[in-house]
Amino acid sequence: MAGGIRGNERSAGWLFVAPALLLLGLFLVLPILMALWVSLTRWNGQGSPFTAGVPFAGLDNYTGLIADDGLSRTNFMTSIRNNGYYVLFVVPLQTALALGLALIVNKRRGFFRTAFYFPSVTSSVAISVVFLFMFANGGAINAILSALGVHGPQWFSDPRGVFHLLLGDSAPAALADHSVLGLSWWDWISGPSVAMCAIIALVVWTTSGTFMLMFLAALQNLPRQLDEAGMIDGANRWQRFRRITLPQLRPTMFLVVTLGLIGSWQVFDQIYVMSQGNPAKTTLTPAYLSYRTAFRDFDYGSGAAISFVLFLIIVLLTLGQRWATRERNP
Amino acid sequence: MTPLRKAALAAIASASLVAAGCGSGFDDNGSKTQQSSGPASLQIMIASSGDAETKAAKDAAAGWATSSGNTATVTPAQDIVQQLGQALAGSTPPDVFYVDAARFADYASVGALDAYAKGDAFLPRLNESFTYQGKLYCVPKDASTLALEINTDLWTKAGLTDADYPTSWDQLTAVARKLKASGVTPLAIGDTRDRIGAFLVQAGGWWVSADGKQATADTPPNEQALTYLQSLLRDGLAKYPKALDAGWAGEAFGKGKAAMTIEGNWIKGALSSDFPTVKYVVKELPAGPKGKGTLSFTQCWGIAAKSKFKEQAAAFVTAMTTADQQMAFAKGFGVMPSRTDAQATYQQQYPDDAAFIAGAQYAQGPVNAPKMDSVLADLDAALQGLATGDPKAILQRFDKNAKTALGG
Amino acid sequence: MRTLISRFLGFSILIFVALVFLYPFVIQIANSFKTEADAAANPLSAIAHPFTTDAMERIFAGTAFPTWLANSVLVTVVVTIGRVLIDSMAGYALSRLRFRGRRVLFAAVLGVMAVPPVVLLIPKFLVLNQLGMYNSYPALIVPLLADAAGIFIMKQFFDSVPVSVEEAARIDGAGVFRTFWSVVLPTARPALITLTILAFQGSWNEFPHTLVAVQDPALFTLPRGLADLVSGSLGAGTQYPLKLGAALLATIPVAIIFVVFQRYFVRDANEGAERG
Repeated sequence: MAGGIRGNERSAGWLFVAPALLLLGLFLVLPILMALWVSLTRWNGQGSPFTAGVPFAGLDNYTGLIADDGLSRTNFMTSIRNNGYYVLFVVPLQTALALGLALIVNKRRGFFRTAFYFPSVTSSVAISVVFLFMFANGGAINAILSALGVHGPQWFSDPRGVFHLLLGDSAPAALADHSVLGLSWWDWISGPSVAMCAIIALVVWTTSGTFMLMFLAALQNLPRQLDEAGMIDGANRWQRFRRITLPQLRPTMFLVVTLGLIGSWQVFDQIYVMSQGNPAKTTLTPAYLSYRTAFRDFDYGSGAAISFVLFLIIVLLTLGQRWATRERNP
Repeated sequence: MTPLRKAALAAIASASLVAAGCGSGFDDNGSKTQQSSGPASLQIMIASSGDAETKAAKDAAAGWATSSGNTATVTPAQDIVQQLGQALAGSTPPDVFYVDAARFADYASVGALDAYAKGDAFLPRLNESFTYQGKLYCVPKDASTLALEINTDLWTKAGLTDADYPTSWDQLTAVARKLKASGVTPLAIGDTRDRIGAFLVQAGGWWVSADGKQATADTPPNEQALTYLQSLLRDGLAKYPKALDAGWAGEAFGKGKAAMTIEGNWIKGALSSDFPTVKYVVKELPAGPKGKGTLSFTQCWGIAAKSKFKEQAAAFVTAMTTADQQMAFAKGFGVMPSRTDAQATYQQQYPDDAAFIAGAQYAQGPVNAPKMDSVLADLDAALQGLATGDPKAILQRFDKNAKTALGG
Repeated sequence: MRTLISRFLGFSILIFVALVFLYPFVIQIANSFKTEADAAANPLSAIAHPFTTDAMERIFAGTAFPTWLANSVLVTVVVTIGRVLIDSMAGYALSRLRFRGRRVLFAAVLGVMAVPPVVLLIPKFLVLNQLGMYNSYPALIVPLLADAAGIFIMKQFFDSVPVSVEEAARIDGAGVFRTFWSVVLPTARPALITLTILAFQGSWNEFPHTLVAVQDPALFTLPRGLADLVSGSLGAGTQYPLKLGAALLATIPVAIIFVVFQRYFVRDANEGAERG
């Protein structure tokens, strides 16, 4: 098959992929290599980082995040804690909500699907503005809460962790006096701050529509016979859902959870617009910290190092997902 | 190999060559940047305290542009530290920009600033803030101090009179209780070191030693100051702006959500442009256990080392810092002039500002050392949680972080 | 009777959930036309009383909104056209054309797809600087011109379509590019529409990239300008009607596209499900 049509195809093939290859190489692969270099230096943002004059730091930027006792480690670990709690709340909530929505709209077409999906396609910045207004101290959420007789919190200025609130205000000495990785045990178990809860609410609200569609696609591909058999056996609706539908949704469930895990470690836009890491660093996330460290503190090396650690976390999650789906869907 | 394939390979190869650094956009020439003479188009970035200042700066720049035949574009930065940081790293800095005294050392130490200044006409105390390793880099733009602003309507409504203006912490607490009883938030105070630090000075303490080389936060006076403020916050006698749905304390004050606030000269311009109807008086901050104390702020007109129009930029700065122009800024947004020869005129024209002027006599300047920004940001984060935090722990944490930064 | 109650209950839940999802937009629209005092006092109310277009006027007169809008339109149009062309070419080649390295390239595309965008913030800034593009229109546009997910979608599409028509065209002697342009592309209409919509939505809403590509306010796009407006400089005040109004205007184009092309949006999400 050499020569003729096929021979032409060879060169055409490369020509067709060339623009995409060039762009992805220039703006995805190359930048990563550059940033890897910068993460090994102490470049301060003046002049080019690719000259001999830039001080080489070796792995100092990385050990500063993980091993050395100091402000960079405290900041980084705080951001890991915050994002960890964020993930812990967002992923189960959005998965459950998405499944619930899919079940609601499964037999209905049109309007409701549109309504539930719409928040997913709007701009994260624009939606953040709306939620800032709703969660303002005198805003809509607190108006609803006070109608229910609850005195709403000052959402975006309340740095108290919700677990701390449940446990009471004062830290037991055993937890407060011992620390690991730069944070005391008491700080580690704070839970998401009240301010973070508002952001969690926003994200669950915007993303569950997307995941709803995935569940919906899976639901509509389920064979009806099993469900009908269950009906004949006299199983009620809940039993049929629990014993028949849910097991069949397992692959989709797994996909939604892992996509959720990967996505929620990357939260950035909402933090930038709504809280900028405040109050008291309780909404600081690794993505925002990396940005701030580089562009505000001029510590580009450390900022790039944070990016790579975050990258590693996400790659591990992705590989985990690939590996596990391979196991389950041979 | 067909011609097409050759072309594709060539394209990829040349792209990687470009990427390898042939066409670097980074400017490594440092201060040897090619200078252009003749009419310049100057980019000026300011950190505006509000619409009043933005307007005054734009008007002044437009006036200079017309009379000198150049163009001058004033851009108010949303977050000047971040925008300037990106611009400097991207080698596209604005020609002229505000440099805050607290950030000055960072910029000067990395060589971002042109040392154009001859500062004999300015107050020496202010010049000190812009001197790095014995060299004055830029001239002070203006000066401000903190004072206590009191909403007179809310004051009278709470049954208070002129005789009740607080001059000590105890009096402050007492009037705050009365104001609270009348159903208004007594005091709105910004949740940063730039406001809270005043209490430290009043208690006889400060974050760092006088020479700025040692961290001295964990001392009894500082702890006393934070504990006092904490008690105000806990009792609802003082609130941070966010708790009042405001972007800054002046907004909460202007909207009548708080009866008192602690802000600097800039609040005058902001109030007259955003909240022209609010009636208020300005008093010196109440004295603490160790007497009176306030903070002073100043910024300079920085010129970028990489500007192409340094000569024109210097001419612009000269025009912005004449005695007349400084008085115009004072009128526009309430700051105090930085020139020695404008002080007397200012005191005559603005008798209401006696509190700000008096404060200048005993004011404490900002912490001014390179590499301190993230430490100070961490301190601000801790201060946001002061109401529920432990003052001593906050101070110890600052000392620990600052030691690393100052030592290195 | 039981079924009636359970039906009623089911319907009430549905209405409640729909309210949760739509009422924020109602609030947004209503408060864009309120006075600032009214918005602060009655944030929940769906009726602006008094009704005012004051905020809207201030958006156009008092902010750089027109500049942001123009920039957003420019970026979105160029990026959308570019992506559709570049992604469909690459997807077609990876699916149909046989050339050495194809498998490796496709694996690379899959790998690139897994790179999380937020870790690219500092890297992109470095590369834009190194190429001398920082703070310019090309910096805003060029890096967004190709996306791995789009290539993937197009490859999957071409894999699922029978080859017979274009084989016939090629045997007739038409060159690869002619075949692609006049035979393949027209048959790929559904996939192209999906891709167009995704590219439009993605580039219209793009925020983090603009953060590291430009810093001159004259080059801000809508999301960037909006973010700037919201975290506003000292003294700008809360001005909620203004901010909500600006956010509303920024949402409208995507909303229109969404309503018109709903079924293509849905298709994408389903493809995502199969991608796993």
